[in-house]
Amino acid sequence: MRVVHYLNQFYAGLGGEEAASLEPRVVAGPVGPGRLLDQLLGELSGGAHRIAATVVCGDDHAAATAGVTERLLELVREQGAELLLAGPAFGSGRYGLACARLAAAGTAAGLPSIAAMHPDNPGLGEAGRAPVVAAGASAREMRPTVARLAAAAVRLAAGEELTGSDGRVSRTVRLGRIVERTGAERAVALVLRRFAGETDVTEIPLGGFDAVDPAAPVDTPAGALVALLTEGALVPAGNPDRLESARATRWLRYDVAGLDTLAGGEWESVDGGFATTAANADPNRLVPLDAARALEREGYLGRLHGEVLVTVGNGTTVATARRFGIEWGARLRKAQVQAAILTAT
Amino acid sequence: MPDLERFVHHVDAVEIGETTRYRRQRLVVGRDDVTDAFADPALATVRPHAASPGDRVRIVKPLDVVEPRSRGPEGGTFPGWLVPVNRPRGGRTHVLRGAAVLAAGFLPRNQEGLVDMSGPAAELSPFARTHNVVVEFDPASGASWADVDAAVRRGLLRLAVHLANAAAGAPADAVEQVVGPHPAGEPTGGLPRVGVITNLQTQGAFKDVFVYGRSMAGSLPTLIDPAEVEDGAVVSGQYGHPALRNPTYLHQNHPVIAALAARDGTDLRFGGLVLCPEPVDQASKELVSEHAAWLCRAAGMDAVIVTKEGAGNADNDLALKADALEAAGVPVVALYAEMSGPDGTGPPLVAGPRKGSLVSTGNYDQRVALPAVERALGGARLGIADAPAEAAVEVPVAAILSALSPIGAGRFSCADIEPADRREGAA
Repeated sequence: MRVVHYLNQFYAGLGGEEAASLEPRVVAGPVGPGRLLDQLLGELSGGAHRIAATVVCGDDHAAATAGVTERLLELVREQGAELLLAGPAFGSGRYGLACARLAAAGTAAGLPSIAAMHPDNPGLGEAGRAPVVAAGASAREMRPTVARLAAAAVRLAAGEELTGSDGRVSRTVRLGRIVERTGAERAVALVLRRFAGETDVTEIPLGGFDAVDPAAPVDTPAGALVALLTEGALVPAGNPDRLESARATRWLRYDVAGLDTLAGGEWESVDGGFATTAANADPNRLVPLDAARALEREGYLGRLHGEVLVTVGNGTTVATARRFGIEWGARLRKAQVQAAILTAT
Repeated sequence: MPDLERFVHHVDAVEIGETTRYRRQRLVVGRDDVTDAFADPALATVRPHAASPGDRVRIVKPLDVVEPRSRGPEGGTFPGWLVPVNRPRGGRTHVLRGAAVLAAGFLPRNQEGLVDMSGPAAELSPFARTHNVVVEFDPASGASWADVDAAVRRGLLRLAVHLANAAAGAPADAVEQVVGPHPAGEPTGGLPRVGVITNLQTQGAFKDVFVYGRSMAGSLPTLIDPAEVEDGAVVSGQYGHPALRNPTYLHQNHPVIAALAARDGTDLRFGGLVLCPEPVDQASKELVSEHAAWLCRAAGMDAVIVTKEGAGNADNDLALKADALEAAGVPVVALYAEMSGPDGTGPPLVAGPRKGSLVSTGNYDQRVALPAVERALGGARLGIADAPAEAAVEVPVAAILSALSPIGAGRFSCADIEPADRREGAA
């Protein structure tokens, strides 16, 4: 089969973070980890499956550009792909997101596709019906990861369904059902088990919570481009883009270039999770545009970014919030924003 | 402490009629009595309806739910609201078990929910299993929403007492002794003394819970006589996340206290109840959590079950208490709802404790398909589905009243589902 491989700019050898805005492009044959993947594919298939081309895109561009997945799939198709392999993205969020979305789009369009990433990669949730095989946490585990991807590719090319024994990532699925005893009765039963010496009894596994280390302070705010962001659902009055009041599935951006203040009556919060009266009376108290403009005029801040990124944090799942974080990060980096003020409610 | 006895009168049917009466487990609600109970300058009209288990009825925009209870002619129920707190304690309280009074309609910040009296959502809400007197209301012109809210709350409490009074002369179907806490120092015969911390959502108007008639916001945690909570010392005015609400009814019938009382003297000793606010800033959360943990230890509790109300930041209120108590060597069980997305593949919790045992009260995001109903109460439309209130709709469990009961009333719970079972994920 004619295989097309997807890589980010770094693994394609086209640069690091400085090249993260690189637009989609095609490179002939295998490159970077694609060379090992091509060699193993050839060995496992008696030369039947080879990498014909590599499609490459910068991480920021791939994570933050509308329509980029469609464009990448178009390039893959133009290379006559019969099988699409994306990654391995290891633990990298933006790269994982791109691999997952491309594999999902390929699968949806009938092109056999596999993405490879670490099971904790936030991109995993975006893979749709595409199979994802497990990668290690970092590139130190390149060889076993690529070997797993190659073996899975041969099985998928033979029309077989990938399973856990192929390294297919099986996410823990937590769904509710009606049980015999009430939550209160089960709580008492757990207490008694603790006294019976069982120290680790729980219905929900503990741990795995993200702890985000803040970035280092900006050395010279006077030279920095600073963005305002909020999860407080501040939108133009009337909510023209219909942002949800809870359980967000998307985020929006609003132009504030040339605005000195966010006038009451022109902006409103549609957040369902807090009392919005004060925020609606003076939207600057939710997104401090007036104060930021004053600091900009005084020269304390270099310049304010022209758009405010907005979503609602009320009841939004961790998986969705992580995805927003990756997309916002990519978008802000692309605009060369150096610091951001994210207001929460 | 004087003992409190429940005189239980079962209710198997409810109807709206001319005069209020209770006979042979059938409750008739007098229309004029409802009007009298809700008489207030802030309300123009009220309309009572009956909704019973199995009815093809949907209640939209539910507000608070109250169990009819009364101390008989001398009064004593809902201290701080309807009677002074310094009344005689103990004695007998009449309980119309199986009945509830419930208000439904628009209020600002009432995050829209529903109760289906039949169909797949019915097994998720405790209020699909009660015979409900549903009161719809129209505000008086010019009345402030705060006054409308207060009038509806007072009306529900008055009506609850009035209905239970109708049974005060009837023989009880059962007489139950309310189990009191065993104070610190009292010998327990080697059994662990297990107590409860119940966090109350306190986020300002329409998201507030009252203790003895006062908002709990700004208070330090307090030990309280659980018999007083049976008598209605805790009243909810909290209309956030419907599935994660603890209406007044669930404080009157505190599920964790009931579960502890059921095993009192056999496996454990009931160690008492601490009520705690859920403040909105981190420093206050830390303060009340430390203080609640200290109260539990001062009350001699060997283990603590912690309950919450609401989502997100309320999870931190659980985590801080669990961490404080576990660090002091006191085992903690905390009740959490999971938020792992509609397909259940996301991380289940936003924040959790370092140590402790967690009970799962179900997945907030899971979708439930509801068939159309014959009749809707509380409003003509279901805003969250942008559909007529009677329509067939699909909603997240999050919208079903008390479906993820963080005070432990429900039987919904998550577990790891094997891939082969995933298609059967509907609740």
